[in-house]
Amino acid sequence: MTTQENEPLLVEHLSKSFRGVRRVEDISFSVGAGRITGLLGPNGAGKTTTIRMLLGLIAPDAGEALVFGKPFRDLSDPTRVVGAVLDAGGLHPGRTARQHLRIAAAQGYHAVARVEEVLTIVGLSADADRRIRDYSLGMRQRVAIAAAILGDPKILVLDEPANGLDPAGIYWLKHYLRSFADHGGSVLLSSHILADVEQIADDIVAIADGQVRSATTLAEALAASEGDLEDFYLSMISSSEISSFERTPHAAR
Amino acid sequence: MLRAETLKLTTVPATKIAVLIAALGLLATQLVSTVLMPYLVNSEGTDPEVAGELPVIDMTLASEQLAVLNLLGGSGSIGVVLIAVILLGVLAGISDFRFGGMVGTALAQPRRERIVLAKTGATALIGAATGLILAALSVTALLLALVLDGTALAATLPEVLGTLGRGVLAITFLSLIGLAFGLLLRNQLTAVLVTLAVLVLEPILLGIIQLATGTLPIWAQLMPNTLAHALITAPNALTGAAATAALTALTALLLTGAALTLKRRSL
Repeated sequence: MTTQENEPLLVEHLSKSFRGVRRVEDISFSVGAGRITGLLGPNGAGKTTTIRMLLGLIAPDAGEALVFGKPFRDLSDPTRVVGAVLDAGGLHPGRTARQHLRIAAAQGYHAVARVEEVLTIVGLSADADRRIRDYSLGMRQRVAIAAAILGDPKILVLDEPANGLDPAGIYWLKHYLRSFADHGGSVLLSSHILADVEQIADDIVAIADGQVRSATTLAEALAASEGDLEDFYLSMISSSEISSFERTPHAAR
Repeated sequence: MLRAETLKLTTVPATKIAVLIAALGLLATQLVSTVLMPYLVNSEGTDPEVAGELPVIDMTLASEQLAVLNLLGGSGSIGVVLIAVILLGVLAGISDFRFGGMVGTALAQPRRERIVLAKTGATALIGAATGLILAALSVTALLLALVLDGTALAATLPEVLGTLGRGVLAITFLSLIGLAFGLLLRNQLTAVLVTLAVLVLEPILLGIIQLATGTLPIWAQLMPNTLAHALITAPNALTGAAATAALTALTALLLTGAALTLKRRSL
């Protein structure tokens, strides 16, 4: 078995332009087994485009993204390999959570019994027959997470999964992801909440202006910034990004 | 995948509403022509001049009895059933785009042409089931009209079953054409407006062409509504087979276009 086939996620030289504007440029990083990798960057940095190319939702102009050595589209049973949370799960407001998960189970050829298991895991069993339009953002996010773990995947790819989650939900998610990784799973986590990433990530990939500014371990990132991930993050993103904010807005008073 | 797509269609209100509107539209159309009109014509309170103007079906004729079994309401017009059935397909096509479900679908099945194949199968199933419901309703309307008119069934059983079968087939094709429109156009408002425009413009366009040229060119006879009516009212097996082949080709062309578009699209 080659190294590529052993690597859960491998992104090599990915580039993508939309209408002539370069959004992602020569991005490379990997996510190892049993590791949580935090994908950090400001809005519009190219995180979501990178994740979508990784998952075969957007075709790259150059480079490749491999899942255990294969492009995502070549996976024979993708939901058992990768679980993903994007766009709050693409939930139809007229369906109930149970209906949504039964559809997701049918898409991935999973047993219906698994629906009840994941509802229990995300703590939504009691509300599973309510219409999704009546759910809070946090509850919708739980449904999306439940759908992602239906196939008991080896890899989780999560784009801003903590959006809308209450503190208890965030606490649950962090512990779930840590446990998932500790049992050999791999997690690619895009987030703006540095404190949460700092608590659970093993590796950091900082992206700005469509380029990787740093791909390192969390320990190295913290060591390089006197233990302050925020400082590390701000030093990695572009200077124009930082200068667009006034660092000391009340200094003139 | 087929099961998932069928579940998608059966768990949203839009599908049920479209089927309900089609059923109510068919019942209203058939009962007006077979029960209400004859009642008004024969009613003592109706002005004889007005009664003379009202269209009355001669229920003793087999051809008129079969016309009652036309699931699209007959006469080649744009009926409620036609619009409801096409919109059923349109909504099946756009629903995943509208609420972001296409991403989850593409993650479960990265080969997108198979997604279109599964959606085609599911929509065909729901379309055929809708056709069967409409067939049962039209038979009920015919029997009610015959009882009220005191007339026996003049059409033969093969004729009745043939008309109903071709009707179910036409409804299935129309729902698939709607699905292709939905997948190609994605946006709900655009898809609904374009579909309605195509349906409304079709008879107007055909009328203009016929007035201008005195005849209908072949391409003008390959429009969805014209083909569906031609299939249902086919006078013989050859005409029915030709209409079926043309509808199959049109549907396949549109769905292939939808599959190619979806394959290239960023999600």
